[in-house]
Amino acid sequence: MTFELFILGLNHQSAPIEVRERLAFAETDVVPSLSQLKQIAPSVAEVALLSTCNRVELVAVAPDPAQAAQELREFLALDRRVAANIFESALYQFEGREAVRHLFRVGASLDSMVLGEPQILGQLKLAYTQAVRAETLGMILHRTFHRAFAVAKRVRKSTLIGHGAVSVSSAAVGLAREIFDSLKDKTVMLLGAGQMAELTARQLVKLGVQSLLIVNRTFERAATLARELGGTAVTFDNYKPYLKIADVLIGSVATARPLLGTEDIEPILRERRYRPMFLIDLGVPRNFHERLSSLENVYLYDIDDLGTAVTNSRAERAREAEKAEVFVAEEVEGFWRWLSGLELVPTIKDIRSHMDRLRDLEFKRHRAWLAALQPDEREHIESLTRGIANKILHQVTTELRRSGGFVDGVYAAEIARRLLGSHLTIEQGERDDSGDFFEEDVERRPLKRRGRR
Amino acid sequence: MSTLWLAPALVLYVLALSLFVADMVQRQGGLNRYALLALGAGAISHTMDLIARGLEAGNIPVGNFAQSLSFLAWIIALASIVMIARFKMPAIGAFTTPVIVVALGAAYVMMPNEAHKLPSTLRSAWLPIHVTLAFFGEALFMLAASVSLVYLVHESRLKAKRSLGMIGGKLPSLEKLDRINYRLLGWGFVLLSLAMVTGAIWAANAWGRFWSWEPIECWTLVTWLLYAGLLESRLAAGWRGRRAATLTIAVFTVLVGSYLGVNLVYPGKHGGSFG
Repeated sequence: MTFELFILGLNHQSAPIEVRERLAFAETDVVPSLSQLKQIAPSVAEVALLSTCNRVELVAVAPDPAQAAQELREFLALDRRVAANIFESALYQFEGREAVRHLFRVGASLDSMVLGEPQILGQLKLAYTQAVRAETLGMILHRTFHRAFAVAKRVRKSTLIGHGAVSVSSAAVGLAREIFDSLKDKTVMLLGAGQMAELTARQLVKLGVQSLLIVNRTFERAATLARELGGTAVTFDNYKPYLKIADVLIGSVATARPLLGTEDIEPILRERRYRPMFLIDLGVPRNFHERLSSLENVYLYDIDDLGTAVTNSRAERAREAEKAEVFVAEEVEGFWRWLSGLELVPTIKDIRSHMDRLRDLEFKRHRAWLAALQPDEREHIESLTRGIANKILHQVTTELRRSGGFVDGVYAAEIARRLLGSHLTIEQGERDDSGDFFEEDVERRPLKRRGRR
Repeated sequence: MSTLWLAPALVLYVLALSLFVADMVQRQGGLNRYALLALGAGAISHTMDLIARGLEAGNIPVGNFAQSLSFLAWIIALASIVMIARFKMPAIGAFTTPVIVVALGAAYVMMPNEAHKLPSTLRSAWLPIHVTLAFFGEALFMLAASVSLVYLVHESRLKAKRSLGMIGGKLPSLEKLDRINYRLLGWGFVLLSLAMVTGAIWAANAWGRFWSWEPIECWTLVTWLLYAGLLESRLAAGWRGRRAATLTIAVFTVLVGSYLGVNLVYPGKHGGSFG
């Protein structure tokens, strides 16, 4: 019996948000739903469910992918209470090697809406632990997921796919960290509580900013936001005296002429004893006069500067993604060799000949002593040892034959081989086997030993 | 005299230099560990050389210009290692290793072959104290100038809005660079002051007076005053950032100029060395 790895799912490219939101699983739903799945989709041997805002995917192993996929469609429709025709056309399906490739690409954030975004690996790990809790994983998915994590780590480590800012607010925050060592003792002033200014302020607060001043024409809005973010609201007519304590100044006020020019900031700088000021101008028309950039220790970035940084780093990530695709291709090949090796199961024959080899070895070791025996005594010993070997083998082989199923078929075969040491050569068998079977570090040694069987 | 250790030290420093520069240029990074290792290995080899020469001289080996250059290079190497490891600032290595290589390279070329005995007037317990303090002070000023260079590079990138990506991400923040610069200047100033005091005491013992208008004494006084002014401008007027960095480099060039000028042109009683 052969088993096929496959993926059934949809993502931000294949399905619009209206479809994705109806199929999405809340984090707490996943384990119960997976337990349900076993009943709805009996032909699925192993399965994991990855649900994020950009994708819903079922990673599964089954003897008959076509049938299993059909069952999984029914599962999605039933479990999410959505008519199948709503999402069916958005589904894609990958099988075998392509499924491995897809999973590796997802983990490495090559299939993400924002290339290289770091959350997906955590989400994939969550999907894995949820499946472990629901007890729907078997050997193949254990291995495949661990490998996917390793591939993701490799890609992140050896390419710059996660570098650079991919949004205006994160670009602004990145710059703040290049200017200031610690943000904890800095004061941020929002001049205008626009949406992008708010987003930037939120990120800065998350990085430890404790002093936040919010100025807005509509004071109510400033007060609301100040309550929410733990800042202080200041009225629009009264903000100038506070400028001297602002290390980061974020402007997003609708204004015809710049609010602040060099004549405003220069005296403030002297008062601040030239401690650096970071001016982020998110306003159009601009809030801060461009001449401010010429002042010592003043760093002025307007929305275009930040936008250019974002465009550049997105282009950069796309270039890095090409390198990452090469790594993924290599990893897919390596992993696929292991997976296809697993399905050729000459196990029983394998174990028998291994036993014979072990017997031969023992006979050779005691050659001198055996030679001294009478022929009939020698024969007796031979039949006795053969008897023992056969008794052991009988149990193993009947058990293997009986269990045609999955966790029982291929897996039992692999386990039997492991337990009896027949996957090793004799010399290796006599050394200590580190038993990396279910361990995470298997990725370092892609089963070289199997080739030497 | 020649030892087996000087050439390997020089080679290792050159290796460290190229690794530090490669680490700066290469975007992926990760070479700085090896660069620091090479620098450390070079310093060990260099230490062996200095021990051999010191045993021969019966004191720290600063009996001629070549030896004093080598000693200075060694102290800069030690200070750089501490600095790079302590502040996790491999970028500094790309600025200090060239100085180490040039100083030790010159010392290597100029190193006289015959054995060198210190003149008896210089054999004193004050020699290691005075020279080491002075050299450590200078090494810290040199590190301050390097940090200032890093600051200027980073600052101009930020001003030109080219910071995101490239080396930008590997450089420490401006605030941190500025703070480290200030600390280095402060400690360098303390050490230089102590070097002057110990020098004066020693001079009083050896020559009978604290101050003898030696060229080195005059120039040291000038640089001491300049550094005092630099620290004062930060404390009193809040001159920091770009301005402080530029001034740090300017004052350091005066220091280097006086060091070279005094040693090569008017050796005076410091005898062709700081000894």
